[in-house]
Amino acid sequence: MSLPRKVDPISTTLLQKIKESLDQLNQKLEVMIEIQKHGQHPTQNGIPDVLDVMTLLSLPDHLRKTAVTLCKLDHATADEVADQTKRARAVESGYLNQLVLMGYVKKERRGRKAYFYVERDENQNEMKEPWEK
Amino acid sequence: MGKIVAIHSYKGGTGKTLLSINLATLYANRGKGVVLLDLDFRAPSLQAILKVQNSEYWINDYLNGVCDIKKALIDLSETHAKRGRLLVGLANPSTEAIREMTAKDRKWEMKALGRLLSLKTSLLSEMNLDYIIFDTSPGLQYSSINAIVSADIVLVVSGTDISDIKGTQRMIDELYELFEKKTGLIMNKVLFDVLESKTQRADLAKKLLNNNNLPMIEMIPCFCDILRTGGVSVFVNENPEHPFVKTLDRMATTIENL
Repeated sequence: MSLPRKVDPISTTLLQKIKESLDQLNQKLEVMIEIQKHGQHPTQNGIPDVLDVMTLLSLPDHLRKTAVTLCKLDHATADEVADQTKRARAVESGYLNQLVLMGYVKKERRGRKAYFYVERDENQNEMKEPWEK
Repeated sequence: MGKIVAIHSYKGGTGKTLLSINLATLYANRGKGVVLLDLDFRAPSLQAILKVQNSEYWINDYLNGVCDIKKALIDLSETHAKRGRLLVGLANPSTEAIREMTAKDRKWEMKALGRLLSLKTSLLSEMNLDYIIFDTSPGLQYSSINAIVSADIVLVVSGTDISDIKGTQRMIDELYELFEKKTGLIMNKVLFDVLESKTQRADLAKKLLNNNNLPMIEMIPCFCDILRTGGVSVFVNENPEHPFVKTLDRMATTIENL
């Protein structure tokens, strides 16, 4: 009878780090594929990174769903987006990060949580409308 | 939570504005809280039909970030609704405003989309209203696509003309489906003899549906009585027993259950 192998905690951490790096690499590769599919990166073209309806129409289906949901939520975590799209949090996190790398979505950290949002105004003050300031 | 309904079409002159005004009034007459917004910034028409004074703020101002949405609404509950609440937001009909709205850039359109999306919170949730009805511009342009993306339900109005039918089919395939919108079709101004023949009626519906699995909400006959009024009044209030109003009433119930 074989005993369960004891996993070295250092190896576990290392494996975890390798997995995270591979995930990040995978996300970057997906973005590169998307950019190749849709021509140059928007900023390289001189066109601003604007997530307007025409951009939404040009996105692949899986990213469009995430982007439209984020537009509706305004400011959200991957969890909150996943709640709406009924897809897994990890999947949404990947798609949101792809949108960040494509320049359409911004990301900020508040404590341990990462929030994603569509920057509508460079001078936007805590997402408030002009009449609220 | 209430619903945002966008009334859209491929071509102009299909009856979007007539349906928007009458549907909004009909819901208000049923005791609902309704906001009707004119999002046809190229050809604003609600002000002329509803005969309201120039408003201090227009929907243009709300989308420009000048004012809160509540300031751009006019309460017509007392004059235009038997029960419930009817509020309207008008598009500025001045030539200068139309010119200004047609020259907006992509960044502005993105902010406008955000403001339309936020109506769900500011009107339906905070003001506890039941419906927001968008009377949109025809075709594929920024203002109409923004309205479609912000809406829960899209009602597409088509005439019987082949160019209208083909254009509507393209919009179904290339626009509504991409945004996964709940879509209902309305065929307007259908000839009476076509509607009376079961086969012709089915053929016409089949032509528009083109194997799409969308609900055909209503096929509305072409009523000369409506044309005769010249759009000077709200038809459902002036002619509550008219067959058009009965059709609209049935349509309103179907939309409620969509």
